[in-house]
Amino acid sequence: MLGLVDRMSPQTLRILALVIVLGAVILFFAAVVPNYLNGRLFNRVSSSVAIMALIATAQTLVIITRNIDLSVGSTVGFVAFATGSLVTNNPEIGPVILVAYAMALGAMFGAINGVLVAFAKVPSIIVTLGTMALFRSALVEFSDSKSISTANLPEWLISFPNTVLLQWGQLQFRAGFVAAVLVVIVVHIALSRLRAARKLYAIGSNPEAAEMAGIDTRKTVFVAFVLAGALAGLAGFMFLARFGTITVVAGLGFELKSVAAAVVGGVNIFGGSGTVIGALIGAILVDLIDTSLVRWQLVSEFWREAVLGILILLAVAADALLNRRLVAARQAREHRRAEERIAAELAGRAKGQSA
Amino acid sequence: MTSRKTLGLTAAFMMGGASIASAQTTLEAGQEVDMVLLPKFLGILVFDQANEGAQEAHAELGNPGELLFVGPTPENSVAGQIEIMTTSATQGQGAVMLSNNAGDQIAPAAMAAQEAGTRVVTWDSPIPGGEGEDVFVAQVDFGSIGVVMADMAHSILGGEGQMAVLSATPDAANQNAWIASMQEALEGDAKYAGIELVDIVYGDDQAEVSYNRALSLVDQYPDLGVIMSPTTVGIQAASKAMQDEGLCDQIKVSGLGLPSEMVSYTMNGCAPEFALWDFRDLGYLTYYTAYGMATGQLTGELGESFTAGRMGDYTIEEDPGRPGSKRILMGPFTVYTAENVEAAAQ
Repeated sequence: MLGLVDRMSPQTLRILALVIVLGAVILFFAAVVPNYLNGRLFNRVSSSVAIMALIATAQTLVIITRNIDLSVGSTVGFVAFATGSLVTNNPEIGPVILVAYAMALGAMFGAINGVLVAFAKVPSIIVTLGTMALFRSALVEFSDSKSISTANLPEWLISFPNTVLLQWGQLQFRAGFVAAVLVVIVVHIALSRLRAARKLYAIGSNPEAAEMAGIDTRKTVFVAFVLAGALAGLAGFMFLARFGTITVVAGLGFELKSVAAAVVGGVNIFGGSGTVIGALIGAILVDLIDTSLVRWQLVSEFWREAVLGILILLAVAADALLNRRLVAARQAREHRRAEERIAAELAGRAKGQSA
Repeated sequence: MTSRKTLGLTAAFMMGGASIASAQTTLEAGQEVDMVLLPKFLGILVFDQANEGAQEAHAELGNPGELLFVGPTPENSVAGQIEIMTTSATQGQGAVMLSNNAGDQIAPAAMAAQEAGTRVVTWDSPIPGGEGEDVFVAQVDFGSIGVVMADMAHSILGGEGQMAVLSATPDAANQNAWIASMQEALEGDAKYAGIELVDIVYGDDQAEVSYNRALSLVDQYPDLGVIMSPTTVGIQAASKAMQDEGLCDQIKVSGLGLPSEMVSYTMNGCAPEFALWDFRDLGYLTYYTAYGMATGQLTGELGESFTAGRMGDYTIEEDPGRPGSKRILMGPFTVYTAENVEAAAQ
């Protein structure tokens, strides 16, 4: 077991710490909420986290480059509405084209952010605060006060997120969740294996050094925003499929939830480190706490937000402590082993001399 | 029965009001006054319907002035409403018709507007403390909403079972008043003795939060029979959640909803009954009230009566829910079932 911990990278250790915190949260609620632990809990959280997982992934891509995207919520809302309106008017459109449309539209919004941040050099928090309002206003204008209604959407679209792909006892693995996890895994592999993707980390750790090393920082940051936009667009498609009825408030507040998920998931808000798997677990943790608090009778509605905030802080603190402990313990063992090795070597040398 | 009694009382009160006032004011058309219709925020169907009603009245009264429909964007609702209120006063608008989403925070701006000569008529959602408001055009009697919801729960549950409430935000003034009046109705009438209100949760008027809250209720209360949601967002999200999880046979959804959004759930039995009022009529009546006040034909005194075009006669009375404030009561409800929902959804 200890040997296993020693062979893990710091990022894997971080995920291990998160999983332990996740387990502790589940045990805590199982103790205070009657009839808590069952398959339905998994089905609830997994279905609901599918959308936030994609948005948190998008947010992570941008945060890694030492930026932030506050317009993701508005992008999700606009794409959900525009995609819904397209398929309402042209019910014969198939899944592939519809998903491509949603992602292209999201990428377009991302490109607007990207140009302003990377090329016009405006701080991303200012740019995306502006485009958050801008995209939302565009949605108000575009929607003409109509809403997209479930009744006008094709059957395949509505049934997609809840289709059970795999059933294991009470646990259902539904298409929406599986699709989101697949996307997260693909992005994770790309981020950890592709040379182009490592540039994101380089820029986030030290922009000047990255520039010196010959990385085109402007282009890379631009691409990060475009990719984040495309992922937010995909989340917009999932939002449409899951909720069916879309109004101008769709996706309101998602920007802060996605930042919370990423930060809880161990993504460094100052850029340069973090994984999308961590962001996924962060999203699960936030969603789990949020869902469970409603069922905890002790907490009234007015205190729920506050308690959610406190629990998130506790989770982050516990994760940081645990992570530090794990890293420190490993370093201590490595240190000890190095000492033993040196001692053995010295002893061996001494033996050789005496012989 | 109780709802009929309330309506009867209201009618009697209105007639009484009419007889006290010296005469029925018939508004003189054609006077010029600029007015602003200010919804909670833009992009919501019911507010657009209210605007249609106001435009209809605007054309009918032949007002050569301008009727502006301006509102904040959804994420900027509170600050945006206050800003538009202030701007309207600066522009010298004759009246602002406000569906208030800013609680009492808007009162200083509204009072400043009144001092500048702009009349403030609220509709849909009043200023809770009543300060800065000339009169509130109430869609229905807030007390009777509770009775209608209790009646719908009674008929869905067959008189016996558990009910939970899925509301908007915890501090939404209108929803809280309606829930309180429903609790009062449940306790006050032996007819509802078999109905147990087990919980009140809040979906923040957002589809995803409401959807998850509805499912949490199901997990928490295995014997739940009906989810009552007095908000158009909550009722449709809860219906969708029950349909997605195949729970419609066991748990029904009811409350206040839009026929066009609810039609499929009513037809498939997930939401067999729900209620709402006509937002076009509300906009129409609000316009008549504001026009009368801004042109000086109505003073806004208690007991004053006037004729609001096609909708008939109305009287300014004291608001029973907010002592010291004035209201005009529109009413009534329409209860939608599988019989009439399809026609209304067109």
